[in-house]
Amino acid sequence: MKLKTWLKSAVMAGALLTISGSAMADGMLRYATVGEPPSLDQQVITSDLATTIAHHMFEGLYTFNSSNAPVPLLAAGDETSADGKTITITLRQGVSFHNGDPMTSADVLASLKRWGEFGSRGALLFDNVDSVEATGDHEITIKLKEPFGPWKNLMAFINGGPAIYPASVLEGAGKEPIAPENYIGTGPYKFASWEPNRYVELVRFDGYSSPEGEPDGYGGKRVAEFDTLRFIPVSDVGTRVAGVRAGDYDYAESIPGDLFADLDADASVKTIVNGSPLFGLVFLNSQEGPLKENFALRRAIQMAIDKVPALQVSIGPDQLWSANGSFMPKGNVWYTEAGAEAFSKGDAEAAKAMAKEAGYDGEPIKFMVSTNYPFHYDSAIVYTKQLAQAGFNIDLQVYDWATLIDKRGKADQWDMFFTHHGFVPDPILISVMNDSYPGWWATPEKAELKAKFTASSDPAEREKIWAEIQALIYEQVPTMKTGDVYTYNIASPALKGLADATLIWPSFWNVSK
Amino acid sequence: MLAYTFKRLLALVPTLLAASVLVFLFVHLIPGDPAAILLGDSATPEDVARLSREMGLDRPIYVQYFIWLGNALQGDFGTSVFFRTPVMEVIAGGAETSILLALLTMVWIILLGIPIGVLSATRHGTWVDQLASGGAMLFASVPTFWLGLYLILIFAVWLGWFPSSGFPSIHDEGGLLNLRYLLLPSMTLAAPNAALIIRLVRASMLDVQREDHVRTARAKGLHPARVAIKHVFRNALISVAAAFGFTFAALISEAVVTETVFSLPGVGRLVVQSILRRDYPVIQGVILVIVCLYMVINLIVDLAYAWLDPRVSLK
Repeated sequence: MKLKTWLKSAVMAGALLTISGSAMADGMLRYATVGEPPSLDQQVITSDLATTIAHHMFEGLYTFNSSNAPVPLLAAGDETSADGKTITITLRQGVSFHNGDPMTSADVLASLKRWGEFGSRGALLFDNVDSVEATGDHEITIKLKEPFGPWKNLMAFINGGPAIYPASVLEGAGKEPIAPENYIGTGPYKFASWEPNRYVELVRFDGYSSPEGEPDGYGGKRVAEFDTLRFIPVSDVGTRVAGVRAGDYDYAESIPGDLFADLDADASVKTIVNGSPLFGLVFLNSQEGPLKENFALRRAIQMAIDKVPALQVSIGPDQLWSANGSFMPKGNVWYTEAGAEAFSKGDAEAAKAMAKEAGYDGEPIKFMVSTNYPFHYDSAIVYTKQLAQAGFNIDLQVYDWATLIDKRGKADQWDMFFTHHGFVPDPILISVMNDSYPGWWATPEKAELKAKFTASSDPAEREKIWAEIQALIYEQVPTMKTGDVYTYNIASPALKGLADATLIWPSFWNVSK
Repeated sequence: MLAYTFKRLLALVPTLLAASVLVFLFVHLIPGDPAAILLGDSATPEDVARLSREMGLDRPIYVQYFIWLGNALQGDFGTSVFFRTPVMEVIAGGAETSILLALLTMVWIILLGIPIGVLSATRHGTWVDQLASGGAMLFASVPTFWLGLYLILIFAVWLGWFPSSGFPSIHDEGGLLNLRYLLLPSMTLAAPNAALIIRLVRASMLDVQREDHVRTARAKGLHPARVAIKHVFRNALISVAAAFGFTFAALISEAVVTETVFSLPGVGRLVVQSILRRDYPVIQGVILVIVCLYMVINLIVDLAYAWLDPRVSLK
């Protein structure tokens, strides 16, 4: 072949490849993630990244609308008996799983049972469940020991929640996440492949049966516009940003605050702030060590810390954080200022006096933090300095995340540790409400309020009790909230249908380009 | 030579056994539990203990080791805790990227390192030598993450000539043209390594140039180019060969920074991520593969010595 002919062929092949590449890219959403999820099994995994991917293929009986109120998804409706102890849920008919089998009450029963026994958040509801039965092909009846107000919120929260799988997948399933070949759900996208370190790929499910109604939050009609959703792990933030700018990715998550001003002014990308903030938490050990049952000493620690400088250092731009002492963000139905006046005093002298009165004698306080999350570490450095100024002897112990979560399970190894919490739609889901969560806050006062909180189905009464619980948190200090953090993502301006803010996790049904 | 090769390959067995014991001990001694990583922050210690039990991680370390060894001897290196796929499949996915990246990088190193090194040595003391040596020093000192990010900015974001990151397999759509994803990473990786090879070729050639047989060749009136290539360069290659071998092995196992910057699914990133996730079976498998790689490359380098220098005998 002559050189000229060869060159011509090469140019033609290149052009064709470019055309077919861009045609393919139009039908594919390329999402740059911070890493890889541990698994996509929604019942046992609580990783936000896992839910970002998995909620396109797994669905629960309920989901949340834009006001974070639960609305039916696979359920058609429900009835609760007058005594609040019997819940009858009717299922939508004509819903198919990705393997073509119709969804029936047998699948929902198996899913609820596995979630109740092994699911990450299942015990919260199922500790109070007397029985759950299929009372028809498309009907499930749950009998409770006592009325349980937050049942629908728990069912609507897919992260660690009751995703509905085929009963056949759940035979013998325990705590161990189900394997990828069993990722069979009812969602608008179905699992295609997971290439380790390369991508997780979902493809449109043509047999999808969507709920009706105008799209509202995660509720309403869902249309899979893309042929394929590809979630690509891109751990370096510079590469994620450059990738969106270069057109190699359509969406990139978890961009640091120091790039916000530049990216917000950049016409080649769109910044999307998450509407639901996450918040840092410093847990205090209620089981062992100097802080055990010494609420006065804990209040002294709380008094010493000013949260604002830590937020400025660790997060950056004012738009991305809020020194909010309420455990729920402003505008949310659960927002309350009860007890929050103690949120960020930063009074070293008062703290010193309070510590002395509490009998603190300079014993080292072991404070564990991980460098895996820069905002944890940066905040912990500021707190350590503030606490030292108030006379506390802080032994800051820096670990990788895997080591920290191993050590925090052993009560004799720490006094305080730093973590963070994603937005949850009901306060019962906040980790400090779980008596078994490291920190092990389980005082009689908490038990009494928690029992009242879960027993009530009256929204106004529940809000009032939650305010009392929050006030108790500020009084007994099992944990210290460090402030709200509004993370943000960036997207290609070519994406159509994206909301201006993310509800909890980004969703790509009803989105195209 | 065959007997020697066979003997060296046989030595792999005890080395791998020793390596497997050491790696198993180390990864299990560092704190952290894959069950806790899997379940996430909301999990209670009871949840973690329950999953650990289901996964068999609560058994004594020696029991876990012998179960693993028994399976490994039958070719089963276990299943990744995270990906729920066989370890060898996970490693094979990473190996494709790493091997192709290393090969492309070696092409750059050979194309740049050897000619510039030879030129620098033959023009010793001139401005050409100073420019080559200065350039080599500069590229040897530039951090790869910095160079990588700048190459992405210039060639992917501004000019749009190359993809910014990632690497679809050559078995995917696009085939061999997907190698374009590796051009910027291979240039990034090649820069410091080519710089070292330039310095090494230059130094080796200068050493050989001073030897008697070179003086004799020149005195016989041979063309300077022939002296440089046949009498100097070939002899200088003996020390460069070892550097090539180990550079290739290092490119496969230690390219973690470049793989991270370009988001490449290679072995280096896999091993680091697996350590952070405490994915014991993958860590174990990758380390053993890397040990094998180093031993095989060591053997190839020894065989290359014998080929390049007839005085070297293999026993």
